[in-house]
Amino acid sequence: MKSIIEKTLEKLPILFFTFISLIFLTPIILILTSLFQGYSDSWQHLFQTVLAEYLTNTTILVAGVSIGVFVLGVSSAWIVTTCDFKGKKIFKWALILPLAIPPYIMAYAFTGLFDSGGTMNNVVNSIFNIDENYNFFPSVRNLGGAITIFSFTLYPYVYLIAQTAFTNQSRDVFDIARTLGLSKKSTFYKLALPLARPSIIAGLMIVAMETISDFGAVEHFAIPTFTSGIFRTWFGMNDIVTAKQLAAVLFIFFLSFLLIEKYSRKKIQFNLSLTTNRELVPIKLYGLKSLLATIFCSIPILIGFLIPITQLLYWTISFNLEYFDLNFVYSAINTISLALISGIFCVSVSIIVNYLLRMKENRPLSLINKAISSGYGIPGVVLALGVLDLFSLINIFTDTMLIGSVFGLILIYSIKFYALPNSSIESGFRKINKSVDDAALSLGSTKLNLLKRIHLPMLKSSSLIALLLISIEVIKELPATLILRPFNFDTLSVSAYMFASDERMVEAAAPSIAIVIVSLIPILLLIKILDRNKNE
Amino acid sequence: MKYFLHIIILIFSLVYSSHAVEEINLYTSRHYESDKELYKIFEQRYGIKVNYISSKGKVLIERIKSEGEGSPADVLIVVDAGNLWRVEQLGMFQEINSPLIKEALPEYLIGENNMWIALTKRARVIFYNPATTSKKDLHSLDYEDLSELKWKNKIAIRSSNNIYNQSLVASLIHRNGYDSTKIWMKKFIENFARKPQGNDRAQIIAVSKGEAHIAIANSYYIGLMLSGNQGVDQQKAAAKINIHFPNQKNSGTHMNISGAGILRNSPNYKNAVKFLEFLLSPEAQKHIIYNTFEYSVLENVEPHPLIRKFGISFKEDIKSIKKLGKNNARAVRMMDQLKWH
Repeated sequence: MKSIIEKTLEKLPILFFTFISLIFLTPIILILTSLFQGYSDSWQHLFQTVLAEYLTNTTILVAGVSIGVFVLGVSSAWIVTTCDFKGKKIFKWALILPLAIPPYIMAYAFTGLFDSGGTMNNVVNSIFNIDENYNFFPSVRNLGGAITIFSFTLYPYVYLIAQTAFTNQSRDVFDIARTLGLSKKSTFYKLALPLARPSIIAGLMIVAMETISDFGAVEHFAIPTFTSGIFRTWFGMNDIVTAKQLAAVLFIFFLSFLLIEKYSRKKIQFNLSLTTNRELVPIKLYGLKSLLATIFCSIPILIGFLIPITQLLYWTISFNLEYFDLNFVYSAINTISLALISGIFCVSVSIIVNYLLRMKENRPLSLINKAISSGYGIPGVVLALGVLDLFSLINIFTDTMLIGSVFGLILIYSIKFYALPNSSIESGFRKINKSVDDAALSLGSTKLNLLKRIHLPMLKSSSLIALLLISIEVIKELPATLILRPFNFDTLSVSAYMFASDERMVEAAAPSIAIVIVSLIPILLLIKILDRNKNE
Repeated sequence: MKYFLHIIILIFSLVYSSHAVEEINLYTSRHYESDKELYKIFEQRYGIKVNYISSKGKVLIERIKSEGEGSPADVLIVVDAGNLWRVEQLGMFQEINSPLIKEALPEYLIGENNMWIALTKRARVIFYNPATTSKKDLHSLDYEDLSELKWKNKIAIRSSNNIYNQSLVASLIHRNGYDSTKIWMKKFIENFARKPQGNDRAQIIAVSKGEAHIAIANSYYIGLMLSGNQGVDQQKAAAKINIHFPNQKNSGTHMNISGAGILRNSPNYKNAVKFLEFLLSPEAQKHIIYNTFEYSVLENVEPHPLIRKFGISFKEDIKSIKKLGKNNARAVRMMDQLKWH
């Protein structure tokens, strides 16, 4: 009797996985099917007029942001991992803080700071006693400004990944490199960087997609990009089919890029057979070098966190302290519960999927897992349209209305952000030696027991990291939340949007600060766990 | 697995949570906090609970479409007459049957076959700084005149992604024809003082700082700025500014509306009518416009004093309101072609 239950239980994960991937993939497929619908003359119009500019702007933006986050993220990670200088301990975690500020809020803060009549201009004018109409700072409402705000809000992804990669690189590798005559500089370029490349590229992909699919910040700066074009086609030209087709093209482009990257990575294979894994001993910096390191690491924190936070706090205290009433508490509770529920859901799914993959090397399964990790390649609003279509189908066939339910929100967050927990759990599983499984199974443990009593405890910190990463994203998410949320259900980002869309920027500061504070909870926890892992 | 069970139960209990007896479900793209206060007043007075969701108009339309026949949506409030026209075209509204409303509103503020009603009006006007631009320069100035060479590098206006600009162009296409508007727009764009950027308020600030001589923006923003609740800087900037109402000798100043309709599958039709009637009561109208600085749709409700001082007896372009939607896509394409970003 028991064995039957056990058998069904063991089948359960695969059934569950099939079900989940169906639900995850249908919205994406529904958007892709728009490619098989008729093509309206909007396409011709776009080709003839604005498409080239959309593409140029988007390319410059993504290239600029990629370089920006690479320089900020990788170099700061390298410095804090391999050097010892004043304030290093603080920088190590403080460099993650800008993750708490969503790009659109950074954009609000930046225009408040640097626009004509903005705080920074006023400060400069009053210090140097210049005419109040003088603008010391250049306008930020352009591509350069957009590259800046995306670089300084998104670099922590690359920083986190690069720092982990550098820390895990064995000291022996570097020692050997040095004895073979490589300078410090070439150790970085010829060894550390190529070794960390796969992880850094993964980080860059997330950053690139967040940049491409952003609407709030580029709209605020009035920069025509591919995604703002999707909206213009939908809202302005009333052509939602073409809008979906544009998003589908973007998605295919994104997939091809992933494939190319994967293929090119295959050519370079590294085999590290060294097992001692002694930790790197940081080089102590003195004098000017130490000062330079301190300055270099302060810049991202200053621009990406302290300055915008000061502006937002100033606005909040001066204009909208009354925001923090009972409604604020409700919005905060909604935000936090959504983050937790979607986080737990996503982490559980990725544990089950990766466990299945570990038990049985299965190509289709691994492909499907890759496919369901690709949701971040579609702008949130368009993905939400796909979810609406899916729910509409469910409603027609089962008479169950899921639109406007919390379930819809959890689903969209999961589809959009699944890549984050998945990569964390994947690497968590990789760290568990397969011989452990063999030993357990040969000693008569059931597979379920193996998962429960060996894998899960060993995955504890990876799961927590995964949960925190996705929570941070859910807290900041706006466009999909706006479409799919239930009645009378505001989140913090929705409140910020409500004020901002009414051009009440100074009042939008209060919910924006709330978003930052709430995101800081998972970020600080994350820092703590990362730190503890290192000490173990 | 236990985790999952709990989560699934939790989710479904949320999905199937029961609703109150008397209610209306409101989908709105007016995001004002003050509107929420109004819903509270309605709830207390009529004992009908107002459930609301707010988002952009086009987004709400997609959501209601996806909900299909089972849609809980009773009332849809959108900003811009073009959006109302769009919903009407899609056949998503049903007739609003209310003698009270018919009596309260003039014909031009009610949609074809009573499919929608206007709730508030806003004018897209010309802001100027009397210190740099004399009243004489603006004398009988029309939108059409803004293509003249004398305005070269002097006009501030926001990006063409904004629906208010799209509607303004749509009204010009309706009035002057497509080709003539295109010729006008080409020269008009050449007169921009800077690359379109920022919101309507940023345009007004640009004029106050001398970065442009005139700005085209919606009337109510000056009220918000003058009220001081957006900071002393904005208040000071706004105090320097005056309004010119264009096209007084012909079509009238370009007007837009926010408005509402009852959806075809509305489950609470009677409550929805009551709600709309309430929104058109002088009391509700005053509440709305005293917070948002818009113009009331009722003759006898005067605008907020901060708006009133710019004049209330200007001529409004009432003819093109219902034509805005039809010309919107053409307006956007024209803006694309002529590179008004």
